[in-house]
Amino acid sequence: MNKSKRILSGRNLAGSIVLAAAALVPLVLGHSQYNMILATTVMLYAVLATAWNIIGGIGGQFDLAAGAYVGLGAFVTGTLLTRWNITPWLGMLVAGAVAALFAASVGFPLFGFKIRDLWYSLSSSALVEVLRVVFLMWAAVGGPTERYLGGSGSQLYRMRFGTYIPYYYLLLVMLVISLVLVNRIRQSKLGFSLLALGEDEDAAEVLGVNVRASKLKALMIYAFIAGMVGGIYACIYGYIHPSFFATDLSMEVAILGIVGGLGITWGPATAALIFVSMREFLRARLGGEMAGLYLVVYAIVLILVALYQPLGLAPLAMRGIERLKSMMGVKQRGITSAHGK
Amino acid sequence: MIETTVQAIITGVMMGAIYALIALGLSIIFGVMNVVNFAHGDFVMFSMYLTFTIGTLLVWDSVQTPLLTVPIMFVFGLLIYYLIIDRTLGQFWVMQFAATVGLQILMRSAALIIWKGQPRALQYSIIQGSIHIGPFTILTSRLVAAAVSLIVIGGMALFLNKTWAGAAMRAASDDLGAASLMGVNRRRTYGLTFAIGSSLTAVAAALLMSFQQIDPTGGMRFGLLSWCVLALAGLGSLPGLLAAGIIVGITESLAVSFYDPRIRPLAIYAIFILVLWLRPKGLFGRR
Repeated sequence: MNKSKRILSGRNLAGSIVLAAAALVPLVLGHSQYNMILATTVMLYAVLATAWNIIGGIGGQFDLAAGAYVGLGAFVTGTLLTRWNITPWLGMLVAGAVAALFAASVGFPLFGFKIRDLWYSLSSSALVEVLRVVFLMWAAVGGPTERYLGGSGSQLYRMRFGTYIPYYYLLLVMLVISLVLVNRIRQSKLGFSLLALGEDEDAAEVLGVNVRASKLKALMIYAFIAGMVGGIYACIYGYIHPSFFATDLSMEVAILGIVGGLGITWGPATAALIFVSMREFLRARLGGEMAGLYLVVYAIVLILVALYQPLGLAPLAMRGIERLKSMMGVKQRGITSAHGK
Repeated sequence: MIETTVQAIITGVMMGAIYALIALGLSIIFGVMNVVNFAHGDFVMFSMYLTFTIGTLLVWDSVQTPLLTVPIMFVFGLLIYYLIIDRTLGQFWVMQFAATVGLQILMRSAALIIWKGQPRALQYSIIQGSIHIGPFTILTSRLVAAAVSLIVIGGMALFLNKTWAGAAMRAASDDLGAASLMGVNRRRTYGLTFAIGSSLTAVAAALLMSFQQIDPTGGMRFGLLSWCVLALAGLGSLPGLLAAGIIVGITESLAVSFYDPRIRPLAIYAIFILVLWLRPKGLFGRR
């Protein structure tokens, strides 16, 4: 017990150092607008993938609707600001609540009818498309043209900064909150219920796990965070558009969660750091020569990781750390990933 | 009112037959190998671009192109099977998801590089034109496409039921262990299945290209459409697949005629979600 506590605090210490380093990033990159866009994009994906870990990694429900919650959040925040001049600081929270409510109203029947695995993924993926079309046709709120965010008041009130740095810090705060949440959930009753039902739903149900309620809770927490991120997303872009309901984004968030290591607190954020910055780096390097070439390289790396690291990158990294430790004479521990079959 | 309805149903039935053909490859791959191929729609998209290239280079009509595109997609399917899919078998399906989404990004960006991401369409096909029966119009291209779809689906049923390879595929689908003991080579059967599933998209592509254009994002639409038809049909019944395709086609066509063309995807996803809620095994599923 004593030992595990020590290791835990050791890990938290390492995490705190990484986060502190992340907080210093704008000091190093802040002079270049492009680098800050990159860092903000990485942070955005890191938050989404970390939140996805709650439903997808721990709970084993491979949700592909991140784009739906992000889009809803963007539209709620943007519309509140433009219509009623309500500050995005408040709008974000409303956005999170709306996304969570929406997720619950969809999840309630889906989980009730025992739609799982592949079919849950597909129907959540369809949701993104449905919402995109709905907002495309709903002329009062959406429509095919971009709606630029209006509102009056100071920059701070409208959350419209001329630079990316405040958005970066905002997302960093959300990342810390999400990481703490994931860590807390993993050690809570909800977390154990989710782990159990992710492994074998029927068995978990027989053992008295309230499968539907657990899934719903996890889904709502995830949707709330994604909705808030959507609010920030709208402010970063300065407009809202139905294309925010993006299937690509949803897929990518899930992929980051998977290759990062299912249920591992740090996995998805690390995967976001590696993959999103690699993608953007390749885009900058190869984009000029041939549009799409960077995605070819990206896709090949993704396929190779899926084929040769079926448990994701985190176990690989942990094995590396273990080896390092064993070289230094520290005893080995087991390596685990949720649902690694 | 009635005229519009009948017209919509006629159009819907013909489109539905093509939808069934689009979903056929996915249905066989998922049914036999239990492989979740998220890239199926992109196979269709890729085949359509291939059809475009061959049609323009050789000045062939869209309906001639399967002569070349079917073998090409067959070999392509074999390659993908041995390079990627074979290694994901027996693993958690999520890894198949990750690998096939990677494949999806790969094919879409390849299309972006090769065809510059522009929408492409072929010259007027020889099957262009329309037939008028009383107040109703039947587009020849759709009629031919529907007829060919029926023939291909029928041919597939014959293949599955009458040939040894088809029997091997059905056996592998029912019980892979027992099938292996009876002398069915798993890798060869699976490879053949995947290649057939891939080459079927080339047939669908030729028919689609005779009356519509293609852009790199088309893969997403065809992918979800295929899963919708598959969910509606359930696994293991080819007539069921055809019926499901026609149901989707008619629903879509009615929604477009009576409401708004933009609602097309909504109609499809509404069916998809309703079916998953009410009949998770599909309307005609054997299992």
